[in-house]
Amino acid sequence: MIFYPLSLLLAFSVIVLQRTFVDLLFAGKIGLELSLILVIFAGFHFEQVRGGIFAMVTGFLFDCLSGAVMGLYTFFYVVVFFLTRLLTDRIYSEQMFFIMIFTFLCVLFEGLYIVVLYKSVFDVNMSYNLYRVFLPQALVAGVLSPALFAGLNYLEVLFHAGDRRSTEPL
Amino acid sequence: MFFFKKYQGLAIAFVFIVASLVLLSYHLKRPGQVGFFKKTVMETASPIEKGIHSTFQGIKSLWDRYLFLVGLENENRDLRKKIADLQNEINSYREMYYEVGRLKKILSLDETILYSTVAARVISNERSSLFKTIIIEKGTDDGLSEGLPVITQQGIVGRIIESSWNVSRVLLVTDYNSNIDALVQGSRAQGILQGGGPQLSRLKYVQRTDEVKTGDTVVTSGLGGVFPKGLVLGTIATAEKRETGLFQHVEVMPAVDFTRLEEVLVIIPERSKEKRK
Repeated sequence: MIFYPLSLLLAFSVIVLQRTFVDLLFAGKIGLELSLILVIFAGFHFEQVRGGIFAMVTGFLFDCLSGAVMGLYTFFYVVVFFLTRLLTDRIYSEQMFFIMIFTFLCVLFEGLYIVVLYKSVFDVNMSYNLYRVFLPQALVAGVLSPALFAGLNYLEVLFHAGDRRSTEPL
Repeated sequence: MFFFKKYQGLAIAFVFIVASLVLLSYHLKRPGQVGFFKKTVMETASPIEKGIHSTFQGIKSLWDRYLFLVGLENENRDLRKKIADLQNEINSYREMYYEVGRLKKILSLDETILYSTVAARVISNERSSLFKTIIIEKGTDDGLSEGLPVITQQGIVGRIIESSWNVSRVLLVTDYNSNIDALVQGSRAQGILQGGGPQLSRLKYVQRTDEVKTGDTVVTSGLGGVFPKGLVLGTIATAEKRETGLFQHVEVMPAVDFTRLEEVLVIIPERSKEKRK
């Protein structure tokens, strides 16, 4: 049960971090969506129900803080999670190159999704952002994703070690 | 039972996707609705974000103060000269202000609504985000509500779109969803200023026959009821009459530097003056 409060805390911390520290680090020029990388990682490592809840909560928190329409990221993160799960069952996904390409494509796909949604619902043309905002964002996310995956793997190992210690009989 | 086990994965995915899709479509129909959970998340995140921003601001100001003192004396001299020039300019404007006041009285055009302002500190300004919003540290407990205009001394910042108990979210004039009824100060050409995200804002629906040129100031028209009349929105960056079309293509540079926002003022309509007899 510790999984749920811990993952909520992790998702919340990552989103606050990306909105403040990462934004300041890149001087507001490029956004790095750490929360999306976290959801992709969950897709590779978490089982369906836990991961689904995790993706949904992460998307919801990001919706609350980003100023976007509520549900925009919740829906996208859930789709990305199950898409990643689908791939994990079929191919070996721990390769660095694969992680980079997959993250790159997910960020681009997210851009396309936002552009299409805003055009169809609000009649706002955001297509300019595809190559001006989302392409650099996808490149940065793709390049940094293996390092972030390594960090998350380390956290996961720590978490499981702690989990095992707490369940071992005294 | 076998059927359920075989398609269990698919069923779980389906449930999650449908649930999130329901959430999205509900809010697409009712944009701007702030629920309890959203308020709680905003309230929880704001002190942390404020702490991180204050730390960075502190480091930055330390850097600015102690490491960039070179040339400060020359800058001071220039600024003193500038102050003297501006003082003269203010005097002439003051004269004009009194004159306009007298003329208004003569023409019975006195304002009917007075405004008061509430100062608020910006606690979150994610510059890289596609959605141009900021969070300020005042909310419904301080008398703020959705729709109130937000300004700085440079001009209009935006309007409040979400208010929690102690924090509010402001939709900047540069956001794609921001549309403000505007006027070009000199020619009185009218249009709608729409935010352009990372690009310049666009002044839409300006007639081809209107005289609009680069450098003209764009102000609020007062129509629409959200922004008071005459507040500065920006200056015209480009004005182009294309071969076809009823309207001109006008781009506007916002007056406010959104990358350096620290404090803002929220305008609150105070009271109506007694109607003239």
